[in-house]
Amino acid sequence: MTEANETFKDVPCTFCGCLCDDIIIEVEEGKIVKNTNGCPISKERFVGRMENRRLQPTVSGNTVTLEKAVERAVEIIASSKRLLIYGLSSTENDAQREAYRLAELTGSVVDNTTSVCHGPTILGAQESGEATASLAETRHRSDLVIYWGANPAAAHPRHIPHYIRQPGEYIKDPKEDRKIWLVDIRATTTSRMVDRFIRIEPGTDLEVLQTLRALIRGHKLDVSEVGGISIPELEEVATAMKTAKYGVLFFGLGLTQSRGRHRNIDAAIRLIQDLNAYTKWGLMPMRGHYNVSGANKTSTWVTGYPYAIDFARGYPRFQPGEYTAVDMLARGEADALLNIAADPVAHFPRSAVAHLAKIPVINIDPKINMTSQLAEVNIPAAIAGIECDGAATRMDGLPLYLRKVIEPPQGVIPDRDILRMMIKSLEKVMK
Amino acid sequence: MNSGSINVIVTSGRTLGQGRAMEKGKITSDYEDAVAICELDETAMKSLGIENGETIVVKSGIDKIAVKAKLNKNLHPGIAFIPCGPYFNYLLESYTQHTGMPGFKSLAVSIDAAPGAKIPSVEELAQMMKEGTK
Repeated sequence: MTEANETFKDVPCTFCGCLCDDIIIEVEEGKIVKNTNGCPISKERFVGRMENRRLQPTVSGNTVTLEKAVERAVEIIASSKRLLIYGLSSTENDAQREAYRLAELTGSVVDNTTSVCHGPTILGAQESGEATASLAETRHRSDLVIYWGANPAAAHPRHIPHYIRQPGEYIKDPKEDRKIWLVDIRATTTSRMVDRFIRIEPGTDLEVLQTLRALIRGHKLDVSEVGGISIPELEEVATAMKTAKYGVLFFGLGLTQSRGRHRNIDAAIRLIQDLNAYTKWGLMPMRGHYNVSGANKTSTWVTGYPYAIDFARGYPRFQPGEYTAVDMLARGEADALLNIAADPVAHFPRSAVAHLAKIPVINIDPKINMTSQLAEVNIPAAIAGIECDGAATRMDGLPLYLRKVIEPPQGVIPDRDILRMMIKSLEKVMK
Repeated sequence: MNSGSINVIVTSGRTLGQGRAMEKGKITSDYEDAVAICELDETAMKSLGIENGETIVVKSGIDKIAVKAKLNKNLHPGIAFIPCGPYFNYLLESYTQHTGMPGFKSLAVSIDAAPGAKIPSVEELAQMMKEGTK
C-alpha cells in the first residue's frame, strides 16, 4: 500500500538494532512528510530519504542503464579471482541470502559489517555460550540494567526511553524499581541519563570483569584498585549484581573494539554465567545497524557461519582474521569488491581503503556515500523498510516484518532484485 | 599559551550528530561538521592554547589530519574523542590482532594547534585516500 496522502502506523524503523516498531509515517503527494515517535536519526532517515540520493546507475562516472551497470558488474565479478562481498547489515534478509548465493556461485569471500562491530561478541559466544534475554523480558522484569562500553543516547537513542525507562509487568515504577548503571571510559550523554556512572581506565575492561567474577565468587584480592576503581567499590558493585532479582548487561563497541576484543566478551559472558548461580542475569549486544543481527542469522542458516566466510573451495569455511574484510583488503588479497548497503571507505582503516582504490569496486547503495567516490560501478537501491518490504532481526533476535510506505525513485529496485539480476547473468557466464 | 604538542589516547564512537548526518548523506557539509572534529578536555585545550572550534592537527603513527577542536568538559584528561568515520580512520592502521577488528578504541596520537590549516572535505579525503597522498 503506497497511496498518496496516507498514514502508516506501527512501522519498524530501519536505523539501529532497536527496530522500534511504533513509528507513524505520514506520506503526502509522494513524499514522507512526518515521522512520529522516531528518534532524531530515524526522522532523518525517513523524512530525508531523498537527500544525497543516487538516482541513476553509473559506470566509471558515466550514467548508464541498470542493465548496463549490471553487465559491467558481472564482467568484473566473472573475471575476478578473489572477489570480496561485503556489507549487508543495512538491508533485509532476502538481499543477504542472495549475496550468499552469489558468493557460493562465484567461489568468493562474503563478510558482513559484524567483523568491525560485534564480531568479537560472536567469537566470545562461540567460546563461552550465550546467556541472553529479550528486550520485552528486560522491560517487564529487570531491576538492574548495566550498560558497558555503550552510549545508547547517541547510537540507540530510544533504547533507554522506549525499552528501559518504561514500566513493565513486575516493574511498576521504572525510575524507582529499576536502576540503570553505565560502565565506560568517558562521560557521555548516556552517563548523564543513568542512575550511576562507573568510570574505568581505558583498556581495563577485561581486568574489571574478571575482578567482579572473583569478588562474586567470594575471593579476596590483594590489590587496592582495578581499572581505576577501588576494591570496596567493586565489592559493592558485585554485591548489587548478585542481589539483583533480574539483571541485564547491555554491552557496546567499547567492549568489542578495545584491547582484549573477544576475550572481553568471553569474560562478560562468564560473569553473567557466574551470576546465574545466585540470581537471574542475561546479556545482550547493542547491535548498531538495524539488520546486522539478521546478517549473522541468515548467514548462519545458509552457510553454517555468521560472517567471514570463504567459498573458494566450493564449500563454506569460516576464519575471522583471514576472511574478514579489513584483513582481506589490508593484505591486498581481494581483487574486486561487491559492496552492498555499507560504506567501507568511510569506516575502514587507511590501508584497507588504500587497497580499495586499486581494485574494481561495485557499490550498491541508495545514497551517494564515500565508497561511491572510489567505485567503478554504482547502482542505486530502494531503501528497505521504507521503499520495499523485507524482514530484519532486532538486537535480541526477534524477527520483524519491514514495511513499504512509499515507492522508490523511478527505475530503482531493491538490493535483492539487483543481486538476482547479477546471479542470473553470472549463471550463464560461469557455465 | 601554546606549549606545543600534547599526547593523548583518542577513542572513536558514535554521536547523535554523526548518526543524523550519516542518514542524511555522507557527501554533505552536515556529515563533515559531525565527524571532522576532535573533542578535547579543558586541560588539553589550555595546553594547546586554543579556543573551541579552532583547527588542530592530529598525528598518529601512520599519518596526520586536520580537524576542528571541540571542547568537551566531561572528558577525562588524557583522552580525546573523534566520532567514528573517515577522519579517525585516516589515522588508523589495519592490524586486527587476527580477529577482523581494528583498534578503533585506543589510538595513541599527538595533537598540535594548527590555526589556519585546511580541513579536507569528505570528498577531498576520499580523493586523498584514492591517490595515496599525504
